[in-house]
Amino acid sequence: MVSGPAVRVLVVEPRESDPRHPGTAAALARLGPEARSETVHDAAALRASLSRQPHDLVVVDQALGEDALRIVEALRDTGPPVVFVCRESDDTAALEAFRRGAADCITGSAHDGQVLAVVALEQIQRWRAARERGETQRRLRWLEQLPEAVVEAIPTALAVLDAQRTIVTANPAFARLAGASQQELRGKPLATALPAPFAGAGVERALRAAERGERGRPCLVRVGDVPACAYDVRAAPIGEGRLLLLVSEVTEIEDLLQQFGALRRYHEHVIQNMNSALLALDPEGRVTYANPTAEAVLGAEAGSMEGQSIFSWFPERERQDLVVRRTLDAGARFRGAEAVAVRPDGRRVPIGISCAPLVDERGERLGAVVIFQDLSEIKQLQRQVLQTEKLASIGQLAAGVAHEINNPMGFIHANLYQVCEYLGDLGRVWERIEALRKAVAVSPRAPSRLRAAAAELDVMIEEVDASYLLDDMGKALRESLEGSERIRHIVQDLRAFSHQDTAERTLSDVNKALDSTANIVWTMMKHSVVLTKQYEELPPVRCYPMQLKQVFMNLLVNAYQAIEERVASDGGRGEIRLRTHCRDGGVAIEVSDNGSGIDPSVQDRIFDPFFTTKEVGVGTGLGLSTSYQLVKRHGGSLRVRSGRNRGATFEVWLPLDETKSEDPA
Amino acid sequence: MSDARAAVLFVDDEPRILSALRRSLRREHYEVLTAESPARALALLAQRRVDLIVSDQKMRGASGLDLLQEVVRRHPSVGRILLTGWPEEIPAEQLRKLGVRVLVPKPWDDAALKEVIRAHLSAVPPAPRHG
Repeated sequence: MVSGPAVRVLVVEPRESDPRHPGTAAALARLGPEARSETVHDAAALRASLSRQPHDLVVVDQALGEDALRIVEALRDTGPPVVFVCRESDDTAALEAFRRGAADCITGSAHDGQVLAVVALEQIQRWRAARERGETQRRLRWLEQLPEAVVEAIPTALAVLDAQRTIVTANPAFARLAGASQQELRGKPLATALPAPFAGAGVERALRAAERGERGRPCLVRVGDVPACAYDVRAAPIGEGRLLLLVSEVTEIEDLLQQFGALRRYHEHVIQNMNSALLALDPEGRVTYANPTAEAVLGAEAGSMEGQSIFSWFPERERQDLVVRRTLDAGARFRGAEAVAVRPDGRRVPIGISCAPLVDERGERLGAVVIFQDLSEIKQLQRQVLQTEKLASIGQLAAGVAHEINNPMGFIHANLYQVCEYLGDLGRVWERIEALRKAVAVSPRAPSRLRAAAAELDVMIEEVDASYLLDDMGKALRESLEGSERIRHIVQDLRAFSHQDTAERTLSDVNKALDSTANIVWTMMKHSVVLTKQYEELPPVRCYPMQLKQVFMNLLVNAYQAIEERVASDGGRGEIRLRTHCRDGGVAIEVSDNGSGIDPSVQDRIFDPFFTTKEVGVGTGLGLSTSYQLVKRHGGSLRVRSGRNRGATFEVWLPLDETKSEDPA
Repeated sequence: MSDARAAVLFVDDEPRILSALRRSLRREHYEVLTAESPARALALLAQRRVDLIVSDQKMRGASGLDLLQEVVRRHPSVGRILLTGWPEEIPAEQLRKLGVRVLVPKPWDDAALKEVIRAHLSAVPPAPRHG
């Protein structure tokens, strides 16, 4: 049997088989089941078959006639071996066949069927072996030629150097680099062949390392300035004391690397410096990158956020609802979502969040990108606007109420006053009545009718308790008058609170306004409070003096009441200090007391309308918020410094220039 | 026989204020007249002599200033006083132009009101009598 792929045999014989000669195909059957034989009958068919696929053997039968030898000739050296089947007894044809290039001849008699198989087998094996050898040689030649082809064609400049650093041979790329021909370079020292930078220390080191048989590091050589060219230089030993020098131009790569580096640095600068906080998260919500603004807003130390879960900045119960969660889980995008983060120092920060999923080119989710801002300032402004709106609507209400109360109060007060006057007059009549009674009592000779009338008068006076009535009527009237006075004040407070200024401001002496107000209150305070005044010289301030006095009155009364409160429990002496001075383009008026102080928990509410810590009926709660409004109308500010039982200092600041509306402090 | 006393006309749309004013000024030496609206006031002024008019500012219909403007036009010798709960809302310029001498705030102080009226009447000669 033949090993390897199936054996293909081509048989060329006449169509009609000679009954005297056994069929060749049958004989070939002895080659085994792997042998395939094909039969053709003429030269054309033969050519066709041969061109279709390779054959291992061709058997030509002399029975074909004259064509037989012609076919043998035609097949000479062109492919598979030819075995000639002689049909004549003499060997003329056989010899001729050999001459024409047949590999073997056999006589086609009956018992030669066996021989045919053997001969066929031998020829096939020889043919196959020859073919393999040819194949191998071809490959070897190709391999031998390949390196040279590569060396000639590659863009890397290659040169073989001997131990003296002389060029033995160089490829065309090297010749181009050196600006000389390959011929010229042979035998030239490397130092003179290439530009100066190539004779530098780096290259020498690479060459020496190669000499030692080490894998030296490649070195980078730069030639020229603008534009500069960069080369990667390496060396390798190639035996027999020779070195291979490889020079690749990497200018473009170097340039790209520089650009890339610059671009990356630029992007980093952008991200580092942007005003918004930027975070990149992995799919589990851990921080992979945080820019400095993010660290600042969240109160984290530089570089400390990486690896931390973003959720650790939010209270436990809010973590599920965080929009970031939805971005991480479902790739949802959000703009303008709000949340409150808790910094490590405990401070709560309101933040406005935008987040989007982070995906790579294939659409794989890498996590999320979160941009956020600190909303503290905005929230504060919102609160202020809300406060102002509240005050405005309360103001309108107050104005309406005041209007309605004013008129009735006008005549109630006037009438009460009048009745008091009437009472006074009636009191004089009463005195006369008393005198009359006395006169009758001491006249023993008064007529009886007169005496009787006087007696009835006495009884009546007794019955209605007239003297008490007269007395108490006066008291009732006086108390009512006081009540109506109080209402008047409340109405004034309300009106001042809601007042829309139409009149103009006037230049005033603030010290005088403060002093006159203090003097009014002094009569009330003089027994329990020591008042100190420290007035600095102040320029005149354009203002509404009435409104300022109301503010001062309010602050003084508050101070007095705070002192009362403390003195009642601790005893001691009450002190109020008034201080005025110039500051920051305006005047500052301080009213300090050593009273019961203001608890820090209520400090930011004391300017709210209707907020009061005083008992019912004592304070209306309108004083400080009204004062706050009035001071604000002047473009100034009202502030307080205080603590529980540590007294309080209220400071009114008014600008000298009314176009400036902010206290720079 | 016509009254030789000075006549002061009070104008206010609140009748109880008028009666309280009347009560307060009972003992004064001038005749107290009242009108509940600017229209009635003007009608009264057309009928008889008035030396001084004291008017409320905020009334139904016309304001005190509007009335006083009319008074200046028709009866320029009548004195003019404005009685109002909102003194700050009256522009000083307008007061001066109308020759309104005084602004009395509401609620008023009886003594102060009496003083103002007395001062005004003594300063201005009585208006010519007619009718």
